[in-house]
Amino acid sequence: MKTLKQYILLILALPILASCQKVIDLDLGNDTGKLVIEANFTNVIGTQTVKITRNVPFTQTNTYPPVKGAKVVMTNAIGDTRTFTETADGVYTANIGGLVRETYKLTVETDSKVYTASSHIPDQVFLDSITTRPAIFDADKGKKTLSVHYLDPGNLVNQYRFIIWKNNVQVKTVYAYNDDFNNGRYVSLDLRVRDDADDDFGIYAGDTVKVEMQCIDKPVYLYWYTLMRQSSNGPGGGVSPADPPTNFSPTALGYFSAHTTQSKTIVVKP
Amino acid sequence: MSKHLLAVLLFLISFTAIAQKKHVISGTIKDAETGETLIGATVRIKELTNVGTASNSYGFYSLSAPDGEYTLIFTYIGYETVTQALSLHQAKRINISLTPKSNLQEVVISANRPNNDQITSPQMGVEKLNMAQINQIPVVLGERDVLKTITLMPGVKSGGEGNSGFYVRGGSADQNLITLDEATVYNASHLLGFFSTFNSDAIKDVNLYKGGMPAEYGGRLSSVLDIKMNDGNNKNFTVQGGIGTIASRLKIEGPIVKDKGSFMISGRRTYIDMFLALSKDSVIKGSSLYFYDLNAKANYHFNDKNAIYLSGYFGKDVLGLKDLFGTDWGNSTGTVRFNHIFSNKLFSNTSVIFSNYNYVIQSFQSATSFKATSKITDFNIKEDLQYTLSSDHRLKFGFNVLRHSISPGEITTDESSSFNSRSVERRYGFENALYVSDDWKVNDKLNVAFGLRLSGFMLMGPGTFRSYDPAGNITNEATYGSGDVVQSYYNLEPRVSAAYQLNDVSSVKASYNRNTQNIHLLTNSTTSSPTDLYAMSSNNIKPQISDQVSLGWYRNFQDNVFEFSAEAYYKDLKNLIDYKDGARLLVNENVESQLTFGSGRAYGIELFLKKKYGRFNGWVGYTLSKAESKFAAINQGRYYAARQDRTHDLSVVGIYKLNNRWTFSSSFIYQTGSAVTYPTGKYTVGGQTLFSYSERNGYRKPANNRLDIGATLEGKEHKKFHSSWTFSLYNVYGYRDPYAIEFRDSPTSPGTTEAVSTSIFATPIPSVTWNFKF
Repeated sequence: MKTLKQYILLILALPILASCQKVIDLDLGNDTGKLVIEANFTNVIGTQTVKITRNVPFTQTNTYPPVKGAKVVMTNAIGDTRTFTETADGVYTANIGGLVRETYKLTVETDSKVYTASSHIPDQVFLDSITTRPAIFDADKGKKTLSVHYLDPGNLVNQYRFIIWKNNVQVKTVYAYNDDFNNGRYVSLDLRVRDDADDDFGIYAGDTVKVEMQCIDKPVYLYWYTLMRQSSNGPGGGVSPADPPTNFSPTALGYFSAHTTQSKTIVVKP
Repeated sequence: MSKHLLAVLLFLISFTAIAQKKHVISGTIKDAETGETLIGATVRIKELTNVGTASNSYGFYSLSAPDGEYTLIFTYIGYETVTQALSLHQAKRINISLTPKSNLQEVVISANRPNNDQITSPQMGVEKLNMAQINQIPVVLGERDVLKTITLMPGVKSGGEGNSGFYVRGGSADQNLITLDEATVYNASHLLGFFSTFNSDAIKDVNLYKGGMPAEYGGRLSSVLDIKMNDGNNKNFTVQGGIGTIASRLKIEGPIVKDKGSFMISGRRTYIDMFLALSKDSVIKGSSLYFYDLNAKANYHFNDKNAIYLSGYFGKDVLGLKDLFGTDWGNSTGTVRFNHIFSNKLFSNTSVIFSNYNYVIQSFQSATSFKATSKITDFNIKEDLQYTLSSDHRLKFGFNVLRHSISPGEITTDESSSFNSRSVERRYGFENALYVSDDWKVNDKLNVAFGLRLSGFMLMGPGTFRSYDPAGNITNEATYGSGDVVQSYYNLEPRVSAAYQLNDVSSVKASYNRNTQNIHLLTNSTTSSPTDLYAMSSNNIKPQISDQVSLGWYRNFQDNVFEFSAEAYYKDLKNLIDYKDGARLLVNENVESQLTFGSGRAYGIELFLKKKYGRFNGWVGYTLSKAESKFAAINQGRYYAARQDRTHDLSVVGIYKLNNRWTFSSSFIYQTGSAVTYPTGKYTVGGQTLFSYSERNGYRKPANNRLDIGATLEGKEHKKFHSSWTFSLYNVYGYRDPYAIEFRDSPTSPGTTEAVSTSIFATPIPSVTWNFKF
């Protein structure tokens, strides 16, 4: 509905109304020093990374204090464990890979508190292709709409997350989907990249675009989906924002996502 | 049902027999020029200070008095008072036509005492809107709007710019029952909330009940907004219309059979899309964006005792993005009413009502093509009886049977689409009610209205019904056949109010009422959206219940020219609905698993000073209030400020008639910003900045304030043709009320974050409308 309302605002704003944007000062609270764990674990053997930081006040610069000296351990279904090593401040890595249809457990011990999360690597769904076509607006300026194409398996419940890089810069928009509306279909999905200068950027002819497709489990999907819904808070304010539901217990900011990964890169044709 | 009715009737009849011997005076009160019936006109007997009544929704009145010589006085705001001598020895029928005051006289304060209903009537918490006044109040883009105007009343809060939703005494927007000629209007806004569906040309009377709800109304917790359409002129054909900045209107009315029947058709269409053609962008150029609506009504009076009314509304919004995307949505309603006067004491109205709301969203791009539809349809049969037992007792009783049919969502696609066709099962339910109330004049000082409403709700098969545990997992699944009752809820709703008159000019009132609600809006957006989804009470959703007590003091000054009131209320709310994290509400057969339930409370004080008559009139309203919710999963189960909570709310409306041609008006509002959730920290995940939150609705948007001014210039008097110009300037000093506040990485100083507010209607917006009538 956000897009609907935007069209209307856009159209109303044209001739008669001035909608205006302005940076404002707000007296925001300070509830900081909370643990943030960002843990990704893929089915491709390589460097698996767990980043641990703490949150900071809104008014500070975007530098986040790393949490050093934590104990990070990955456990597979049959109880094998692997301890991650701290390769940079707050960055813990291991050179391993996961298997599809396996559940992994991650424990993070810091300040004598243990945080645990489990995540399941679902079957990999093959990313068929990524394509572009002229966008609805500004097509004459070479603006494109990006689509991904894949065949969703009909016998399973599937969840996906996509990440886009335009000219090696990650697009901030969150893309999380499930197969509620297209189970078993050959799916063509438009991944819309916002185009206001203040935020993200559109995709234009000549850009190099890389798309990563992750197949994720339900709790991780819920995490990204909640985030996606909040970022499209849009005019009028949609859902009340809240921290997305983490799979860590006791609760922490962030997530542990075990997933499949595959990427495709294209150079956008005029 | 009929058995109950019979019992009530028998009870009444036996009551009559023992009542004191009096004669009944009854009749209909009409406008002398148009034949429109007048609602709420008062009838008094000069010689008996305690005998008086007001005409009902159909202009009918009935009162009784012992043998004697009397003078009847008929009054109505803006009309000449009529007095009539009467020698009463038997039942009398007196039909009266009142003549509207000419412009010249209107500025002179009437020598007759204006009515003092506010002091004597036990009804409290009611706002009656005067259409003439609504038409003077400046609004954005010059589109006069009932829903915008009621937010200027104390206890009623605006949902914000571009939102025609309103909040009454701490209730949410879906807790208001909005009816047009008794038919429920589900989505009362056009263009996603910028305009209301009510074309003020077609509207005769607007009443908003905020508390002390009469027993004949039910089904929603917070309020009833009862809107009645014009009947149409039964004397002459007239055409009136207006050409405005964004919309034009036309109304035609006239007699079907002179003095017996009339019709009215009123239409409106916006032409914002004409501006689209000016755009350079080929897509915008080829797009559509408009709404139209049509109100129609006809009536025929067979004789003094029988009359039939037909009324209908049809409105649609259309939004299309070239050949890529299209959506339309709208309401349609139809009402057939039959008035029958059994005797000069017993008035009956039977209504058959239809109401429908639907939307269609279509995408035409091959890979993502789909068509999504949703629909809610109501059929309602209603019987209302008014019985004047004696001059001390006026009874109202009746029943209604309302059948809901909700088709929550259906998606149809073709083979080439990425989407599957699917549909969520249709749901059926009956909302039934039986009520009785008595307006009892206990003595000269004390008036009591007590009523009881029995509401019965039944969720019906066929279909598959699931139960869920708190985590949203299915715990039970059962299939029901057509006609099976899946779940039923019965609630007794007492409604009591009393007025004690301290003296001629002041009174105190108290009321208690319980309301229940069995149809719930599911939306996680704050603004009204065409995809608004309704769910009925079920095995998972319990009826929402509200208990409200209120207390008020009323004082009139200067011969009732000034009215002052102070009302305090406390409301307790149960079984309120909120949504779990990441809830998906659209086309979801397990939508009820996405809900969580909680409670709420709201309390406040409303002060209202109104000058009803004179060259200068208007009002000042102020509300000090609180509205809080409580859900186990939110803010550790503590009470928190609800979205509709506004601590202070002030509105000032002034209308000044300079001379016969110029009228000036202005309105000013100030209200505390709404409760919102702001981040209390930030962190990084996936290379992007995210915000962390510690409390729902823990912050406030900046307070909103705005001044609007307007002026009306009446054209020179012609014999047949009348015209006027309406000018308005909205947001005179260009206050930037934050419509949305977003948090983001700063584009100008990288590595930092900032808060950005977006405002709409942030500059003074002028508009002009030319109105005509002949």
